[in-house]
Amino acid sequence: MIEIFKAKSVITVNPSLPRTEVIAVRDGRIIETGSLESLKPWLKNNEFTIHDDFEESIIVPGLIDPHLHPSMAAVLLPTYFITAMEWKFPWGLTKATTTPDSYDKALLEACSTPTHKDLFITWGHHELWHGPISRDRINALDSHTPIIVWNRSFHELCMNDAALEYLEIKEDDVKNSSQIDFVRGRFFETGLSFALQKLNPYILDQEIFTEGLRKLKEVVHFGGHTTIADMAVGLFDFENELNAQKLIYENENNPFRVELVAHATAMAGLSGGDHVKGEQLISSLNTHNSDHLRFDKRVKLFTDGAFFAQVAQLMEPGYIDGHEGEWLTIPEQFENIARIYWNKGYSIHVHVTGDLGLELAIDTLEKLQFEKPRFNHRFTLEHFGLSTPEQVHRLSKLGANVSANAYYVHELSNLYANHSVGYERASSMSRIGTCFRERVITSLHSDFTMAPAHPLTSMWVAVNRINEKGELMSPEERITPQQGLEAITINAARVLGLDHEIGSIRSGKKADFTVLSEDPLEVDPTAIKDINIEATVFEGRIFKI
Amino acid sequence: MKPLTVICGYLGSGKTTLINHILKSTSFPIGILVNDFGELNIDKYLIENEDELTISLTNGCVCCNLNDDLGDSLNFMLSQKVKAVILESSGVALPVKMSNYGTSWPGYKLSKLLTVVEGRTLKQLLSDKFVSKTVKSQIIQSDLIYINRYNDFDLELLSSMNPVYKKEEELDALLENIFIETDTVGEILPFVEEHNSLKTEVLLFDGPINQEDILNFLDANPGIERLKGWISDSENQSWLVQVTRSERDFTVSKYQTTSRLVVIYKKDLNKKILYK
Repeated sequence: MIEIFKAKSVITVNPSLPRTEVIAVRDGRIIETGSLESLKPWLKNNEFTIHDDFEESIIVPGLIDPHLHPSMAAVLLPTYFITAMEWKFPWGLTKATTTPDSYDKALLEACSTPTHKDLFITWGHHELWHGPISRDRINALDSHTPIIVWNRSFHELCMNDAALEYLEIKEDDVKNSSQIDFVRGRFFETGLSFALQKLNPYILDQEIFTEGLRKLKEVVHFGGHTTIADMAVGLFDFENELNAQKLIYENENNPFRVELVAHATAMAGLSGGDHVKGEQLISSLNTHNSDHLRFDKRVKLFTDGAFFAQVAQLMEPGYIDGHEGEWLTIPEQFENIARIYWNKGYSIHVHVTGDLGLELAIDTLEKLQFEKPRFNHRFTLEHFGLSTPEQVHRLSKLGANVSANAYYVHELSNLYANHSVGYERASSMSRIGTCFRERVITSLHSDFTMAPAHPLTSMWVAVNRINEKGELMSPEERITPQQGLEAITINAARVLGLDHEIGSIRSGKKADFTVLSEDPLEVDPTAIKDINIEATVFEGRIFKI
Repeated sequence: MKPLTVICGYLGSGKTTLINHILKSTSFPIGILVNDFGELNIDKYLIENEDELTISLTNGCVCCNLNDDLGDSLNFMLSQKVKAVILESSGVALPVKMSNYGTSWPGYKLSKLLTVVEGRTLKQLLSDKFVSKTVKSQIIQSDLIYINRYNDFDLELLSSMNPVYKKEEELDALLENIFIETDTVGEILPFVEEHNSLKTEVLLFDGPINQEDILNFLDANPGIERLKGWISDSENQSWLVQVTRSERDFTVSKYQTTSRLVVIYKKDLNKKILYK
């Protein structure tokens, strides 16, 4: 049986046939896209049905997020979001909360419904918008419910009296600690680790975590995705993460597939700290593969620290206040680990945030290319916070890909211009326009919850580069809507090594589509993020939103 | 409060060698935490810590790793009879950050913040594209530097950044400075203690133990989470034994030792196979 999807217009992202009207699908694959007229030879001797639900809609290739973290999301989603940015969720809109007063109001309204057994945990507080948080400030709103306020950057949290009492944190135990401010109820850095030890039984509780993954499933569908990648399986606990994902995603009603990329250090950790054995372990993971979950010869490495926490490694002149970034892997060991995977033919995905972290990855790639040249190797720079034009040129010459978090520009460029690295570098973070000019295969990702799991929002930022203050940041680094759409479809597929199967609409590919109410290439570019997503089609099956 | 000594220093600077010196020259039990950061090196195996407890860690950033195994291990050490704890940091750790564990973790106080420097690589590291700043910070932020394999030029370079240093021939003076108030450390706890649901036990043996004995012992005890230590077999060959849930590893050891094993396990331990 052939099923025909009719649309107002189909944007194929296939340069040979960019626009069509209908798509014919058989057994979950596209047999042809074109017009009813052009499909006649297929239809002559075959039964077919026509779906006209989307007759007034625009069909684009199924959207792909090539980098998010289901496990991290499963921890965060059960918390209550009060943040300075807007989040669209299937269960409702979380409006931006941008002042201390509105923060208190939002917290007061929500806190009577606990999120984690008896505890109420909220995520998203940021001092610059919401003012300093303290035990007294939360007590004044509610002193009975145990309330925990977790900072947007994850690096700090604050508790009220009831929470301290509930978690049995006593003044005598922590009063000498330099990173626990008991009077204000604040725990940061090492103190945060101490607090998280007390909270882990709640945030990593099997039931709550599984519920978090279920919520993520809704979020991913709601964002219009048909493929996502878990870009570091093993972040917390390899076996638990894999089993939980199998439980949630391995059923025929799941509207998307999850590409799994193993965390090299975690795999080495399971192999006695030995990366050679870690590689052997990764090479055996494909025995877990199913219709919805798939490992491949891909691995995740890290160079420098987190972009949101301002511990990216920077080249001269560094941070304005002179503080230092951090290495997540010792540079010379990074090279040794990368070599193991390079020589075995892997696609290596490297977390890089600052320009010095990026430089390490590029230098390493250059050495490895000299030792053992490879083509179409898909060495991918992930996140891509700060970079230089010269680096983009080098990585183009070396055949690397970029998977960028464009949202940095939206959320952080004003903040970092004023408080971190200055205007010139802050305005050109996520240097995506140069990547396209240098012909680097470039995709966009959310790194959810670092950005909303909503590819049209990533596209919107990359196309407009308007930050949360409404300023236009480095207009030269904007990309066109066509390029933006490529970045969340075919380029994302290329980054994952799946461009032969997904990422565009053409004969032979999987029938993965996202159905939109408006044309993302024709609307006012500033409205791209607001386009209504009506449904997704995963391997030929319709999943309404 | 247990004293915590933090040792920083770039790869190959001699941190492990210094720790071995410390272990040889002290008469009280010391707990060692090695943050090997999931690296290729296995410093832990090089520590000749026969009487004490060595734990290897892979600590990362809190936003990518909610399970702080350094914190867990610090808590575990509090329950052990060790009188002091040494934290061997990863090669790129910044002393100021690591010292926070001494000043912030309940039950601990910072004893010394020490960085080990190797003279002959110092100049090169200070101009390295990627780690020059890190190495410089390690020197500047420390209370005390220990420098080995150096010449006059290296000393001059070092003293311009941090004049409080001890040279390798002043090791004795350094060792006197490494711990504070070790004799006022609180009560000594029995070695076998509950660690969440996990229990730890030390097994000592008079006679030889062979690899097969260990394998049979593991098969009979599915509750074993980790096992490490040394065995001396019937041919008088010593082996370093390292067992995790996914790995059973025997490495030839050059240390002649009596057989001793640390077992971390759940529920019960059936030791009959080993003590037949």
